[in-house]
Amino acid sequence: MTDDRLLEVRDLEVEFTTRDGVVRALNGVSYGVDAGETLAVLGESGSGKSVTAQAIMGILDMPPGRITGGEIIFQGRDLLRLSGEERRRIRGPKMAMIFQDALSSLNPVLSVGYQLGEMFRVHRGASRKEATARAVELMERVRIPAAKDRVNDYPHEFSGGMRQRIMIAMALALEPDLIIADEPTTALDVTVQAQVMDLLADLQREYRMGLILITHDLGVVADTADRIAVMYAGRIVENAPVKELYAAPAHPYTKGLLDSIPRLDQKGGQLYAIRGLPPNLLHVPGGCPFHPRCPRVRDRCRTDLPPLYAVSEQAADGAADATGERAEAVSADPAQDEIARVPELGARSSACHYWKETVDDARRT
Amino acid sequence: MTPGAREPILEVRDLVKHFPLTQGIVFRRQVGAVRAVDGISFALYPGETLGIVGESGCGKSTVAKLLMNLERPTAGSVFYKGEDISALSGRALKAVRRNIQMVFQDPYTSLNPRMTVGDIIGEPFDIHPDVAPKGDRRRRVRELLDVVGLNPEYINRYPHQFSGGQRQRIGIARGLALNPEIIVADEPVSALDVSVQAQVINLMEKLQDEFGLAYMVIAHDLSIVRHISDRVGVMYLGKIVEIGSDTAIYDHPTHPYTQALLSAVPVPDPQAREGRERIILTGDVPSPANPPSGCRFRTRCWKAQERCERQEPPLALPPVLADRTGEVLHDSACHFAEEKPRVAHG
Repeated sequence: MTDDRLLEVRDLEVEFTTRDGVVRALNGVSYGVDAGETLAVLGESGSGKSVTAQAIMGILDMPPGRITGGEIIFQGRDLLRLSGEERRRIRGPKMAMIFQDALSSLNPVLSVGYQLGEMFRVHRGASRKEATARAVELMERVRIPAAKDRVNDYPHEFSGGMRQRIMIAMALALEPDLIIADEPTTALDVTVQAQVMDLLADLQREYRMGLILITHDLGVVADTADRIAVMYAGRIVENAPVKELYAAPAHPYTKGLLDSIPRLDQKGGQLYAIRGLPPNLLHVPGGCPFHPRCPRVRDRCRTDLPPLYAVSEQAADGAADATGERAEAVSADPAQDEIARVPELGARSSACHYWKETVDDARRT
Repeated sequence: MTPGAREPILEVRDLVKHFPLTQGIVFRRQVGAVRAVDGISFALYPGETLGIVGESGCGKSTVAKLLMNLERPTAGSVFYKGEDISALSGRALKAVRRNIQMVFQDPYTSLNPRMTVGDIIGEPFDIHPDVAPKGDRRRRVRELLDVVGLNPEYINRYPHQFSGGQRQRIGIARGLALNPEIIVADEPVSALDVSVQAQVINLMEKLQDEFGLAYMVIAHDLSIVRHISDRVGVMYLGKIVEIGSDTAIYDHPTHPYTQALLSAVPVPDPQAREGRERIILTGDVPSPANPPSGCRFRTRCWKAQERCERQEPPLALPPVLADRTGEVLHDSACHFAEEKPRVAHG
């Protein structure tokens, strides 16, 4: 653990009670973000990426949601032990969130200036006039032209890209240490997406903020992230620095995702498609949750839930067939199992029994 | 699949669609018009895929509706096998529509939740009873389900029992029911998860080979369009600014808008991130109710000069490509068209 570690999520578990039964949305999610770093959380709908973010922010709907285990350590304090009032004081000045759909996240009957100024009025006790002045400053900072004239406009008077800038401005208002951006550009066109991501990266550099970027767009991730956590069915299945992950994914799901996207600079025949469908969280398959869709599934995957194995360069250089045996030996020995299960946060890891073969295969091709 | 070698199956000439903007409640008077589509021409050949890309609000979905005759054009015409269908009505229109079918964007709202899958896919047969005789319909629906990769046993299920990807397959099966020659797909995969998108794209390509369909695919995702299209048209504010083979558009774009659009697409390769040159456009798309004079892209263009304001550039073969041959030849609507190679690759 480095001194720079801003946020650390450990073994977070969240359940939702629904009419059809209890849905285990998160089953022990762990990740960490350093100051000034961008962590991309990648996953399909239902993989739990947004639920994790909501749990960190403390805006999870409870009920029906329930945090059943784990810790969220932010700047040395476990957020889950704090009172509601203490968490409210963290939300805004210390961490902030950018939502996907700016039109439905902004209040349509209040002017954007009022909504931006609210941060200063509530958290800093600023007067109304002062708050409006700060709102104009913020709008200028996110490069909204003619900010002074537009501060009293309503959200519907702005274009999609401009609205997203206002969301960013609102998140930045009190210069937080951590920003969580939940699909910030999914609703935008590519040219506007490029503008917004550029702005976000500039501001992040300027303030040295930690950024958690939640997305399903592998292109955006490659452009902006330092590290990636891939989620599947409420678990982290792979955790790696961005270049290593794209060069040689260590989990078959990650590999499948990378192979299934059409590339702008390549035109091929058939796309690789991951067979089957994402699992229903009410009936997550036993063993490895990815096994019904996995091309390299073996008997062991159907019964044993793979822990997060530490992926190291040296280990990957060894003989590929040894993985299975070695892993079995590891899980037989409880002391070693503990080591394998909790790789150092931030180190490269993969939740696949046969990660070594996956990496080796990816390197070969 | 070379254009010109064959008769186009569908041809669009100078198509215009303006939506009136009105004011007043009792006495409505027109105060302007949203020029959603403002004079576009293109052709679709049998068995090929034409992709249309552009940002939201550029009129791509209106083009789809005009082709389907769901909207009547303000001016211009749509020719299906040489016959102008934009003025047809009644029985003649119904007969033409059999051959042009549509697949919609959102598989959650485009299927009636109160109808079974069998009824949804079989509904086209109610309108065109000559395609499948009454007793034969269930069998035909089962066949269609099988063709799109769904279990024929699911015929009595309701849409909510399916996932997004499966629903889109149902939508495709419905489009195929009448054995059409042309399928217009408006953002067919944008509502789906990444891992499921590939399945649906592969299915669409398989069906094209199997039934010799011509596709017109409208999408905002440039990578997907490149993957499935033989030819690509780029739209900006109701006009086609560049059109050509996929190689021409993606590897040899000459219009500044196409170049900016391509450079803005994130490439899923972190190695490329440092070296890549990106053109970041400033500002937003102007309102189609009041488009700029001359070249419509000039307000965001870095090459814009006084001439662009005065004179609208025609969509024609630019002089820079005149001495080239083969696939690179394509039309571009820019006074200062020039190649900027490898713009998408960095």
